Amino acid sequence: MDKSRKFSPKMAVNIGGVALKNPIMTASGTFGYGEEFTPYVDLNRLGAIIVKGISLKPRRGNLPPRIMETASGMLNAVGLENVGVDAFIKEKMPFLRDHDATVIVNIFGETIEEYQKVAKKLDRIDGVCALEINISCPNVKRGGIAFGARPDVASEVARAVKTATRLPVMVKLTPNVTDIVEIAQSVEDAGADAISLINTITGMSVDIEKRIPHLANITGGLSGPAIKPIALRMVWQVVKHVHVPVIGVGGIMDERDALEFFIVGAKAVQVGTANFIHHTATMDILEGLETYLVESGIDDIHDLIGTLREEGEKC
Amino acid sequence: MARKRTTVSAEIIQNREIAPLHFLMTLRLPPTFHPPYPGQFVMIRAENRQPPLLGRPFSVYDFYHDKKALALELLYRVVGQGTRIFSLLPQGEKLEILGPLGRGFKIDGRRRKLILIAGGMGVAPLSFLASYVRRRGAGSSFEIVSYVGARTASYLAGLDKLETMCSKTFISTDDGSLGYHGKVIELFEDHLKTCHGDMPAVYTCGPYPMIRQLADILRGCSGFCQVSMEERMACGIGACLGCAIPIRNKDNRQLYKRVCKDGPVFDIRDLAWR
Repeated sequence: MDKSRKFSPKMAVNIGGVALKNPIMTASGTFGYGEEFTPYVDLNRLGAIIVKGISLKPRRGNLPPRIMETASGMLNAVGLENVGVDAFIKEKMPFLRDHDATVIVNIFGETIEEYQKVAKKLDRIDGVCALEINISCPNVKRGGIAFGARPDVASEVARAVKTATRLPVMVKLTPNVTDIVEIAQSVEDAGADAISLINTITGMSVDIEKRIPHLANITGGLSGPAIKPIALRMVWQVVKHVHVPVIGVGGIMDERDALEFFIVGAKAVQVGTANFIHHTATMDILEGLETYLVESGIDDIHDLIGTLREEGEKC
Repeated sequence: MARKRTTVSAEIIQNREIAPLHFLMTLRLPPTFHPPYPGQFVMIRAENRQPPLLGRPFSVYDFYHDKKALALELLYRVVGQGTRIFSLLPQGEKLEILGPLGRGFKIDGRRRKLILIAGGMGVAPLSFLASYVRRRGAGSSFEIVSYVGARTASYLAGLDKLETMCSKTFISTDDGSLGYHGKVIELFEDHLKTCHGDMPAVYTCGPYPMIRQLADILRGCSGFCQVSMEERMACGIGACLGCAIPIRNKDNRQLYKRVCKDGPVFDIRDLAWR
């Protein structure tokens, strides 16, 4: 083989039984159901599309204003607006199947039974490759505390969804907890096939002229570059203590951000807020990553994952 | 599948304060930029720098061929961090522009009388609508009447240009420093009472309370009134659901529509009020 020819690094990864062409996914809620992005992104080139969170019944979402930019980030309180699982299957999946995209469906509920019902409905749908469970939403039966805030409840949801589906199940962790490792271990014990982290960090912002919150919901989820160091730290903590693949999410804007997550041990990453700013962000990151691997002489992404040298530069 | 870049690079030709806190920005665009339609908007970001992190939506104030290049004009008031930063950008600076985006105003050729009602910066898309109509072949056969309101006389940016395209212009200020002392809708309402026969086509853009007042007085009228709405946006293409506003559908059920994708122009009767 001609050595001067550029080689193509191996980008394929397997996330808990789901074979991905590459480790770049879209974060739920930042890519709709894919339609809006087709002028900009070849959906088939993505590692996976994680669609906007789906619930048993359609949800209208929160009153506006729903978003606010803050320092190096944005707050959102969209309120999990979605078409509901039946309309998703009927109206959104045919489009995604036509594009031959790898589809992971993010699901949530207000009760454990709702999570199970949504999972069951998606179980035999052609084109759905895996489920990602959003455990950041309020648990109505337990006074609105997030499912993901307590290890016992988080594992209960994970176990319940696992028994309701044959699909691989990823659990997306909320960072609004005291000990992320404890939660990660509990969902792994419950049978999660992979863990993604982090969801948004709860925050708020105030209009000082009117003395009102900038969001109608008062609080919202912070995303964007502001949260990347927190996400990276949490991924680094979690990969040391679980055996299932970990997917890094939080403030990834370019390939350099993505590389940090791979180096600390993430097996794949999700791109979120960056999709809003540059609609080709996922493709730019994928290409940037390939270029980095070629230039570094790395022929398989696996040779980069988890290569952090914690002893630093001392020796 | 061919990938197109989402944004084009535009150069600032001028960025001038034409009234206190009000700026006129002229941008030179590459020839590939699709001509905008009145009521459409663009998302703007300073190239390779932040803040702001997210693009900011601006309605098109004017668009024309300038020598060999395309020129886009934006009229804006400094209201927050994003606009403050834009106001400081010098000539020659590059911006990332995405657009034109959204659904603009519908022009019904059978209605030869247009009424424009602008509150504050709402003058920007309406002025572009007037320019667009005037530049068309049959432009001179349209009668355009405008109602322009602002907090105070010095905030009536864009009035000079709009006036030249209208057969009549009525002015109001909240503090009475110029024209009618009061709200622009009160001014319009007085004239509406004297309006007989065919309802003209009404186009409007302005702050929420103004739009609500207008919706109230037009309730029961058979006329046609399109409103360009404003909301904070993150993506501009309908994905983030950040710019939702409540709309009433045909079954009188309330639902959210996206200002960026389903609008920004809506039929005023479809807006749902709390």
